[in-house]
Amino acid sequence: MNQIIINLETPEIKVLEKVGEKDAIAKASKESVFRQISEGKAQFTASSSKAFALIIDGKSLQYALDDDMKKLFLELALGCASVICCRSSPKQKALVTRLVKAGTRKTTLAIGDGANDVGMLQEADIGIGISGVEGMQAVMSSDIAIAQFRFLDRLLLVHGHWCYRRISSMICYFFYKNMTFGFTVFLYEAHTSFSAKPAYNDWFLSLYNVVFTSLPVIALGIFDQDVSARFCLKFPLLYQEGVQNVLFSWRRIIGWMFNGLCSAIIIFFLCTNALDPQAFNKDGKIAEFQILGATMYTCLLWVVNCQMALAVGYLNVVQHICIWGGIGFWYLFLLAYGAMPPKISTTAYKVFVEGLALAPSFWVVTFFVVISALIPYFLYNAIQRRFFPTYHGMLQWIGHEGLSDDPKYCKMLNQRSIRSITVGFTALSLGKNQRWES
Amino acid sequence: MGDSRFTQQELPACKPILTPRWVISTFMFVSLVFIPIGVASLFASRDVVEIIDRYETDCIPQDFKNDKVKYIQTPGEKTCNRTLTVPKHMKHPIYVYYQLDNFYQNHRRYVKSRSDKQLRNPNSENDASACKPEDMANGMPIVPCGLIAWSLFNDTYSFSRTNQILTVNKKGISWKSDRDHKFGKNVYPKNFQSGKLIGGANLSSSIPLSEQEDLIVWMRTAALPTFRKLYGKIEVDLQEGEVINVTVENNYNTYSFNGKKKLVLSTTSWLGGKNDFLGTAYLTVGGLCFLLAMAFTIVYLIKPRRLGDPSYLSWNQNPGGH
Repeated sequence: MNQIIINLETPEIKVLEKVGEKDAIAKASKESVFRQISEGKAQFTASSSKAFALIIDGKSLQYALDDDMKKLFLELALGCASVICCRSSPKQKALVTRLVKAGTRKTTLAIGDGANDVGMLQEADIGIGISGVEGMQAVMSSDIAIAQFRFLDRLLLVHGHWCYRRISSMICYFFYKNMTFGFTVFLYEAHTSFSAKPAYNDWFLSLYNVVFTSLPVIALGIFDQDVSARFCLKFPLLYQEGVQNVLFSWRRIIGWMFNGLCSAIIIFFLCTNALDPQAFNKDGKIAEFQILGATMYTCLLWVVNCQMALAVGYLNVVQHICIWGGIGFWYLFLLAYGAMPPKISTTAYKVFVEGLALAPSFWVVTFFVVISALIPYFLYNAIQRRFFPTYHGMLQWIGHEGLSDDPKYCKMLNQRSIRSITVGFTALSLGKNQRWES
Repeated sequence: MGDSRFTQQELPACKPILTPRWVISTFMFVSLVFIPIGVASLFASRDVVEIIDRYETDCIPQDFKNDKVKYIQTPGEKTCNRTLTVPKHMKHPIYVYYQLDNFYQNHRRYVKSRSDKQLRNPNSENDASACKPEDMANGMPIVPCGLIAWSLFNDTYSFSRTNQILTVNKKGISWKSDRDHKFGKNVYPKNFQSGKLIGGANLSSSIPLSEQEDLIVWMRTAALPTFRKLYGKIEVDLQEGEVINVTVENNYNTYSFNGKKKLVLSTTSWLGGKNDFLGTAYLTVGGLCFLLAMAFTIVYLIKPRRLGDPSYLSWNQNPGGH
């Protein structure tokens, strides 16, 4: 890799230092630094396909961080694949971090283990302290503490990726389930001449987000893993999904809300058309407000929970308990609530025991509505995996097919998106594999 | 502390992945399950015999065709004779319903206008605040109060065939839980329909609410603006081709809001009344899934591209990093 070294060890500066005039030294040093930076920049712009490394020491940094020069310095630094600031003071470390943060408006991460890193750790968006030989100073002022430096790659590539995916999945799913719920209520409103009569019993409404659909979301946020830890480390490009905000783009959010809309429409229209206005059981009884509301709500809970099971790629025992247990809990709740005296349970009094459980149409309709509401998403998923697979989808496929140990395949996956640029991971791998054009 | 499988996030898990085999088998399975259920539902619906007779327009005599509201509001008997022909043999019990269209029993203020306490307990007859304006009349509380009770349906039907009267069994038409727990055995109608505006039927003050099944059925408010309510049951078979004469007392005013009134006679099957929708919908979705399974099979056969092929990395529009 080509190196751009900026230091003040030139003979002219040394001569001036021997003389000892502070002003002269400062002026000359500043000019020297300016010259070196400009030269470095010229080198860099001339051949943009090479990878450069910038090395600057603490003395030069002092001048490079002056207000009139720091923009130039930042431009040079951002163009290089690697920047090393050696022998810098803690304040300079913090200033460099601040410069990058303000200049690029990107998320910065700082890692350090000593007391001299504290300023930098606090300045960066994410500060990672390493506990160990130099004491606990860094750990106490950091956001995340790890035990050894080498754990950083696991922290970023595995936990960082999982965390990003979990948060974006959780938020998208939250929009989806509330959209589905709210839209069924809205569609019903349209049939009550918009008089604000909700489709469900009061307690059903209140407990929807609190009890019936809360646990699966929490389990999703804690446990979801789309790709195993081993794969995250093996294919570091997966981390780019977070950097480029692939999983939480507007397209995805609106897509999930649209899914909620479709589910709500399917649930509402299938339930009302199948159960109204004719009798719904053998005794000629009509499905009025209580029956229809309870049936729609049952379908709603099933759809929303099964959608979760379809959308996550990882179902461990806790998630199974949350999802299927949640649905089972709904039936128990119906029984318990329905058994309470009518003063408390109002319209849900004995609705399950007397009306729903014994009517085959209830079970037939629920089964039909749930599967029909999930088919659109399933179809979308199948088509997407076939024609427009995402990177993590492909990795899941590799893991499933067992191609993860095929080095040629892995290399192909890793290298595929690399184009002729010189920064970041790409430059590192270029440097490692010696594939740059000479 | 951090060594268990739970804290290391290595709990055993199933990782379902949507391979072509799974996609095709799921769609095939759904279609194989749905199509028979659809056929069964359709057969059940076809077995049900239903007679629907819309009578509110025809039951207005010629003189009043332009002022139906005036007709319905004139006191006195407004009898109307209708004839129904039985299309197929109907096994008993045959359920008699009245169907109302454009009647919003699910309007929030209508649904609110009742006092469940009053219905249960004779001592709570003053608990009528939610029932305004139908809470008091002549300074006394109305039992049962509220708009729902006030608008009780009051058309009556009597059936006969070839000079033999068909009795309509009006017992057991409401839900048992309503009779036993929501309407008191010792609560009697009081001061009912005694105001200036009469909304519907009158109730006998000597029969307790738990036995006033028409009221109980009516007070279980419907979900949608088009609804049926059970009127009674006919406990004899009706043969195909029989002519049933219905004598309708046309009392209920649906003319002010262009509502429709229909008389429905229906048998039931294990699935309920006559509704082809469920069976048809099942068959449609089942057929659709079958087509999708076939389509996916063709696609996977024609272009067996491995899903892991990296030439489909579509997300990486920008060079990695910027």
